[in-house]
Amino acid sequence: MGAPDAMFVGSVDFLRSFIGIIRRPYETYRALSLRRNWWEIAHIALLLVFYFATASLVKTAAFRPYILTRQFLALASTAGATAILVSATLWIVGIRFFGGRGEYLAFARGWAYTLIPTVLWFWTTSILFVAIPPPRTASIQGLAFSILYLTFSAVLFYWKVMLSYLALRFGMKMDLRQIIQTVIVSSPVIALYGVVMYRFGVFKVPFI
Amino acid sequence: MNDILYQKFVKRWEEVTDIPPQKFGILTPYYKYIVGWVKSAPWLFLVCAAALTVVGLYYVLGPSVTYLVTLLQRGF
Repeated sequence: MGAPDAMFVGSVDFLRSFIGIIRRPYETYRALSLRRNWWEIAHIALLLVFYFATASLVKTAAFRPYILTRQFLALASTAGATAILVSATLWIVGIRFFGGRGEYLAFARGWAYTLIPTVLWFWTTSILFVAIPPPRTASIQGLAFSILYLTFSAVLFYWKVMLSYLALRFGMKMDLRQIIQTVIVSSPVIALYGVVMYRFGVFKVPFI
Repeated sequence: MNDILYQKFVKRWEEVTDIPPQKFGILTPYYKYIVGWVKSAPWLFLVCAAALTVVGLYYVLGPSVTYLVTLLQRGF
């Protein structure tokens, strides 16, 4: 298959997977673990780039190319490094200590789809930061917004947890006990990295 | 026709045996029941879990949930 054909197939696969992780995540991840086309990941990267561009504008609040580019590069490089660090940590811990098996790249492709709920939450939060800026108050409107926002955040968080579980389940062929053990052992490394990112002021909520 | 059916069976069999089954002793039937729901209607499960979480947060924090939201809104 030539590059343009692979790109087209990748686009179709991405759309199918995108709809699939919303409607039928379990079946989608099972199918995803069998595919080998990397072009679909390029579409996830595009979504991330779109978010980083939005966040750079919101965070800097200045139309200065140098500052915007610096902010964009800081966000993009940190998020890229985080995705690699988190997936590699889970992979190494899962394979070395808890009997996981499979290929890293197949697992990483599944893990890349777990970034969709993350980017959706960050993108919505950055838009809401402009549209309805904090702080929230304990008025009726403030409470109503808070409850809606927390529900939205919790839905995306549980969706993320579900997709992460499926990425580990199909990417490393592990059962729930092995997955929980892998996550518990990997958590300190990921938490430490999150603290470092917070100290550098790149992401206050870790972009995992 | 039989060949196609057999190939479908083999493919399905490979899918099923590719990953280890989940076992939780006496809790396995309940686990299978819940997972059946999660597989067929994931959003019903997600929304219910999120609603319960928010109710729990409101019960614990009361109106102070607005502080949590303020922190989260600045967290991107």
